[in-house]
Amino acid sequence: MANNGGGPWGGGGGNRGNGDDRRPGRPGQDGPQIPEIDEIMKKGQEQLKVLMGGRGGRGPNGADGGGEGPKLTRGTLGIGALIALALWAFNSFYTVRPEEQSVELFLGEFSSIGNPGLNFAPWPVVTYEVIPVTREQSEDIGLGRTGSSGGDGLMLTTDENIVDIDFQVVWNITNAADFLFNLRDGPETVRAVSESAMREIVAGSSLAPLLNRDRALVAQRAEELIQLTLDSYQSGINIVRVNLNKADPPREVIDAFRDVQAAEQERDRLERQADAYANRVLAGARGESAQVLEQAESYRARVVNEAEGEASRFSAVLNEYQAAPEVTRRRLYIETLEKVLGDVDKIILDEGAGGSGQGVVPYLPLNELRRTAPATGGN
Amino acid sequence: MGRGTIGLIVLVVAVVGVLSSIFITDEREKVLVLQFGQIKQVKTEPGLGFKIPFIQEVVRYDGRILSLDTAAIEITPSDDRRLVVDAFARYRIGDTEEKIIQFRQAVGPGGLRVAEDRLASILIDEIRGVLGSEGVTSNTILSAERGILMNRIRARADEEAASLGLDVVDVRLKQTNLPEQNLAATFDRMRAEREREATDERARGEEAAQRVRAQADRTVVELVSDANREAEIVRGEADAARNRIFAEAYGADEDFFRFYRSLAAYERSLRGTNSTLVITPDSEFFEFLDGAGLSSPAAN
Repeated sequence: MANNGGGPWGGGGGNRGNGDDRRPGRPGQDGPQIPEIDEIMKKGQEQLKVLMGGRGGRGPNGADGGGEGPKLTRGTLGIGALIALALWAFNSFYTVRPEEQSVELFLGEFSSIGNPGLNFAPWPVVTYEVIPVTREQSEDIGLGRTGSSGGDGLMLTTDENIVDIDFQVVWNITNAADFLFNLRDGPETVRAVSESAMREIVAGSSLAPLLNRDRALVAQRAEELIQLTLDSYQSGINIVRVNLNKADPPREVIDAFRDVQAAEQERDRLERQADAYANRVLAGARGESAQVLEQAESYRARVVNEAEGEASRFSAVLNEYQAAPEVTRRRLYIETLEKVLGDVDKIILDEGAGGSGQGVVPYLPLNELRRTAPATGGN
Repeated sequence: MGRGTIGLIVLVVAVVGVLSSIFITDEREKVLVLQFGQIKQVKTEPGLGFKIPFIQEVVRYDGRILSLDTAAIEITPSDDRRLVVDAFARYRIGDTEEKIIQFRQAVGPGGLRVAEDRLASILIDEIRGVLGSEGVTSNTILSAERGILMNRIRARADEEAASLGLDVVDVRLKQTNLPEQNLAATFDRMRAEREREATDERARGEEAAQRVRAQADRTVVELVSDANREAEIVRGEADAARNRIFAEAYGADEDFFRFYRSLAAYERSLRGTNSTLVITPDSEFFEFLDGAGLSSPAAN
């Protein structure tokens, strides 16, 4: 927390260390009598000097200075007064940077907000605290840094699964006075409230949607819930955004989750392979069908054409035949036999001349006759 | 020692006296003024205050919202499943004079440190009480009803803490986790669930693939057999047409058909050197081979 202004006793230039100790709110601080007296003495002396410096010009002090220390002349008093004035001004003016605001307290009571620029808080009646308001501050939660067990971001879902969540809360301050006066541990409060809110949301949700579908929703609901809780403290804190960095299954089981993804891919692959097979065999079948049909058609064409050809040839010959049946019949016969006997191996046996009703038997094996045919034929 | 010196001493004493008789109450503080242990003044509003120097002392307490985290405790909701729970509280010292006096009386000079200890044990008691009460199961804790439970804890803690002069602003549960020894079992269960899902995916993939293949095979058989049927019909029609054509043509003269077709068959079947014909020259083809027909029939 900012400590620029020191304690309620106006931690001025001289005793900053002391001012630090006097910060309010130290638990168990009781019986502060002795340091207080000490401080008051010190302060008193300091302030006395200032007062004397202020009055030095016209007071009768010059005559009294003989007892101790160097003789006070008007010159030294003037210089002392100037130094005291400078110290006072140094303590009373302060700058506020663009991202900051200051909170001024008049005798401990909230008086005003100081905007960026040079500000004036007349010491010691007005004290101030400078607070970075617009600067975004962030808390990372779930990265295994929190001390408590299970603080590594493992959260139990409503279906008793465990999810590992890392998220970041970015916040700034909308009301510097509220922030200063209502909360002792601002960042720590943001952190605790955020963790609690996220765990509450996770505890009301089941695992599967957390991992994918509801991620954005979770961040949004967390932001709302954190803001609501902080508003109930009048903390003056504004949640800028909640970044859900990680919402994964725990490390121990992530392989099983990955395996599910692999299985989904595999299923897809199997289906596609089957589709490929189907496409291939169906195309083959269509081709084969077409082939079979075309073959049948070609058979039809061939058979019909042949039949028609043969039939028309017959018809043509028949016409001729009917014109001269006897001659044509004989001619056809002779022509055919001429052609047949001209080509074929033949053995002519004259039964009447050569044998005596024994047929071909004496000449067996007939195949042998081929070699001797010329001689036999000669007979 | 001159008059000046005495004057200076008087002045210093006066200034010290004035300064130690005023005190400032900060916006963030509550202040008690004690006189030998007796409470003389309570200041809840910021501003300037006065006290008797040296006799009265000022005790300051933080008036802001303070935080307290409880240690993680194991609780047993009514369904006997153990959970590790921790919480934090936001609390402040009460705003009224009575409450501040009560606070001082309850915690003594120990201040907030003592108060924290007391409050922590109150919180743990109330957490155990609320989360272990009838009808609260681990499923209730792990649900949207968690907010209601937290409010109940807060209300009860606030009631208890009133005797300490404290206002409990908020109590929120942080972790509600399984004990370490149950974690492994939960991981195993999660793994088994995933395995079931993965196996299911693969099996469904195979099922779908098999179905697609079988359908494809069936379609192939259907297509091909359909084509064969069509083909046979075509062939049948062709054969029928052939028969019809032949019948029409040959039917014109059956006798000639027999003759003609036989001749054609001889010509086609007795071809080349693949057959040897043993014939006698007394067929009609050879009727003139022996010279029998040399004389004209007209001459006879």
